[in-house]
Amino acid sequence: MTALPLHAKRGVGRGEGPARLFTLLLATALAFFFGVPLCLLLWQANAPGLVWSEVWLAPESLQALAGTLITSIGAAAFAFTIAVPLALLIARTELPLRGPLKAIFTLPAALPPFILGMGWVSLANPRAGLLNLLLGAGTFDIYGKLGISFVLGTAGLPLVFLPTLAALSRLDSSLEEAARLSGASPLRTLLSISLPLALPAALSGTALCFLFAASAFGVPYLLGVTASPPTPTLTTRIYGEILMGQGGLPRAVVLSLELLVLAAFVLIGSRALAKRGEVRLSSGKGSSLRPMSLGRWRVPLASMSVVLAVVLVVLPLLAVALTSVQPVWGQLSGLSAKHWSGVLGNPRTIDATLRSLGLAAAAAGLVTALGLGIATTRRRSLELLSGAPYAIPGTVLALALLIAFSRDLRFVLFDRFALVLALGNSVWMLLVAYTIKHLAFGARNAADGLAQVDGTLAEAARLSGASPLRAFFDATLPQLRAPLVAAFLVTFLTCVTELTLSVLLIPTGRDVLGTLLFELQSYADPGSAAVIACAFVMLVLVLQFAQAVVARKRAH
Amino acid sequence: MADVQLIGVHKAYGATAVVKGISLRIESGEFISLLGPSGCGKTTTLRMIAGLETLDAGTISIGGELVDSEKGHVPPEKRALGMVFQSYAVWPHKSVAENVAYPLLLQRKPSSEIAQRVTQALEWVRLGAFAQRMPSQLSGGQLQRVAIARALVANPRVLLLDEPLSNLDAALREELRGEIAALRARLGTTMIFVTHDQHEALALSDRVAVMHQGVIEQIDSPQKIYQSPSTPFVAGFVGGANRLEGRVEGRSFICGAHTFELPERVTAVDGPATLAVRAEELELGSTGPSLPLLARLFLGSATEFRFTLGESVLRVVGPARDVKPGESVRVALQHARLYPR
Ligand SMILES: Nc1ncnc2c1ncn2[C@@H]1O[C@H](COP(=O)(O)OP(=O)(O)OP(=O)(O)O)[C@@H](O)[C@H]1O
Ligand SMILES: [Mg+2]
Repeated sequence: MTALPLHAKRGVGRGEGPARLFTLLLATALAFFFGVPLCLLLWQANAPGLVWSEVWLAPESLQALAGTLITSIGAAAFAFTIAVPLALLIARTELPLRGPLKAIFTLPAALPPFILGMGWVSLANPRAGLLNLLLGAGTFDIYGKLGISFVLGTAGLPLVFLPTLAALSRLDSSLEEAARLSGASPLRTLLSISLPLALPAALSGTALCFLFAASAFGVPYLLGVTASPPTPTLTTRIYGEILMGQGGLPRAVVLSLELLVLAAFVLIGSRALAKRGEVRLSSGKGSSLRPMSLGRWRVPLASMSVVLAVVLVVLPLLAVALTSVQPVWGQLSGLSAKHWSGVLGNPRTIDATLRSLGLAAAAAGLVTALGLGIATTRRRSLELLSGAPYAIPGTVLALALLIAFSRDLRFVLFDRFALVLALGNSVWMLLVAYTIKHLAFGARNAADGLAQVDGTLAEAARLSGASPLRAFFDATLPQLRAPLVAAFLVTFLTCVTELTLSVLLIPTGRDVLGTLLFELQSYADPGSAAVIACAFVMLVLVLQFAQAVVARKRAH
Repeated sequence: MADVQLIGVHKAYGATAVVKGISLRIESGEFISLLGPSGCGKTTTLRMIAGLETLDAGTISIGGELVDSEKGHVPPEKRALGMVFQSYAVWPHKSVAENVAYPLLLQRKPSSEIAQRVTQALEWVRLGAFAQRMPSQLSGGQLQRVAIARALVANPRVLLLDEPLSNLDAALREELRGEIAALRARLGTTMIFVTHDQHEALALSDRVAVMHQGVIEQIDSPQKIYQSPSTPFVAGFVGGANRLEGRVEGRSFICGAHTFELPERVTAVDGPATLAVRAEELELGSTGPSLPLLARLFLGSATEFRFTLGESVLRVVGPARDVKPGESVRVALQHARLYPR
């Protein structure tokens, strides 16, 4: 035995008996709830009589594929165009209000895209939107391909903005200063030095934004299905086919495969780009960050950024708030609290809220615990596997789970005990789906946290006489509190209003907040939907504020 | 080639003054070093000359043209200077040739001229064979040579160097130091060289400006700086002199309980003074106060002895002697400088 692998063995200690069993258990659970359903999906696609090309080349399918491609490319292009200049300004220059601007442009990451979509429906519905009421009917129309691209592009903005910002923040200012002394103006410096160096990160983020848009269901449904002409996408088509029952299922399966292939290609491309960026950024020592002065462009650029922040993020949220106090949708006629009292007192809302809160808390707890478990095994393959469900479009994942668990599963142990797994058409199915889908949040946060933990602390505990497990709980775990809390919160917030999985997996006759929101907004009562959305946005803002305060306190 | 003139330059970050009224005239073609301990404001001064920082008071002119004053600021790209950074700052997304060509590209030179001048600049730094390499394929020393070629390719009026050698290991530092001296002899460019390494400053410069807490303590030729430091700080920083606080009485220097005899060539005026004496200017022998030995360090060519002198430590370098820590030895001054307080 050489001395080198010592570091690899920190943590709970892979290779020891109980640890190996633990790894095996996690792997089996992942295989059972994710691998098997995916295999069953592929198996279904090979059912006799099902010709893929026939389904893929049918006119409706081609139309849906075109819808997905156009809206996703549109969203990615929009996000890139807005996010990259903003990141350059915020990371590299003395733009005023950098902090607040960064917070506002990051906010869409914490909100369900559906809520932004609702805001834009309130603003730019051709007949009843607030903007059109003010400027004359038909000035803006948010329905159709352009509207979907715009809303998804805004919702996906942080996917481009944050990695670009991170890459730019790592740049040593002397790279830019060398360009200035070579005779380059500030603008030229940003374009020929800073931008190329952050481009791999920006493009990788743009690819993720494309993937996000192609997997989106709520927004294309809200803005595409009732558009004239209707704008189907692959996800809304798959949903429609599943609703048709047995007849539509095979087609849904084959279309899912199409979406899956698309996602795989984009993901591989994004990974490759991100990797290229890493190599390029490692240069020189003694790095330091000195923001560039903007001179007379300071105020105009700051104003433009603020206007953009207001229009893209603040305005739609305000519109949702306004809709929640508008007595009649589509008319500017005073304010009223009737939706609020109606919704808050409604047993259906209360029931859905409690169910969502319970499910989200349970899923977040499971994700955090399992994520920590996966990270402590220090097995790269398990970590990668746990990230896969998040990369798969929600509609496809839901369909796979639906196929795998629609019937009760019966395991017989020792000829005596029968274990019945009745997931189909129950709330448990949602819990499984939420947990599997967001496992990546837990695993990634825990792994990043573990990577930063000082391993000698646990070793000191071992030398003081603690068992490996005891050392982990006493020395390592307390240092992981921040990343684990972050994993819990982000999973919780995502699951509370989760829509894509819920819409397909919710048991008949029950609601969660996501499906309630979807139903109210799509069919009955935008005012009441706005109340729920508003309440959720407030919850997000309060939590983010609390997190910022805690982070600031810890920094001091 | 141009001269540089700073008059009464001040710079503060918030409430802390970093540069406190520096005046300095650098002749055309001169090689001057800014030497001083960490945090004394060398980089800040250099960056103000480069135009990367704006000054709070005073003026800076380059080649007779006013580039910085309270009234106006010429941006760095309009100053026609070259700069070499401690962190190399070689652009990782451009090849070596592209890095060096960049300043010429911005001057819209024809491509044939660019190619020829890039080749020439790379020859200067002996990197001719590396033109097509990417920076990630180069060593630290090679990266810094690329940075030097890039800074020189457009014939800058002044070349600014901010600790260009301090990220390199000792042998490379020696080698590149020689190359900078050779380049300077060949091109005659005005150069301002920031360093905290006295050997570098003394070896390369026509004149050395020693900085301390935002002011220039002394500016002189390397010989003058070394032989007659004008303040105790300069004596301590350049040449590493011991500094003793005490009082002159006749031909004696009284430091606490100990009395040193002053050598004849030292002129003395009665009263409180600081005495600066280099380690090699002290002698162990039969005269002078008897001091207890604290430690003995073998340096190779000589031995360093450390003595306890009141609250402080007195360093003496000389030939090896058989004394053990704890024993007392007599220590005498051979030479010293006195700074009345
Ligand atoms: N951007 C800044 N904001 C605030 N203080 C600064 C800034 N830049 C430098 N300082 C302070 O100004 C002082 C002088 O800095 P400067 O970089 O000029 O020192 P230096 O002589 O180059 O030191 P070193 O040898 O460590 O590079 C230091 O105390 C430093 O902390
Ligand atoms: Mg410095």
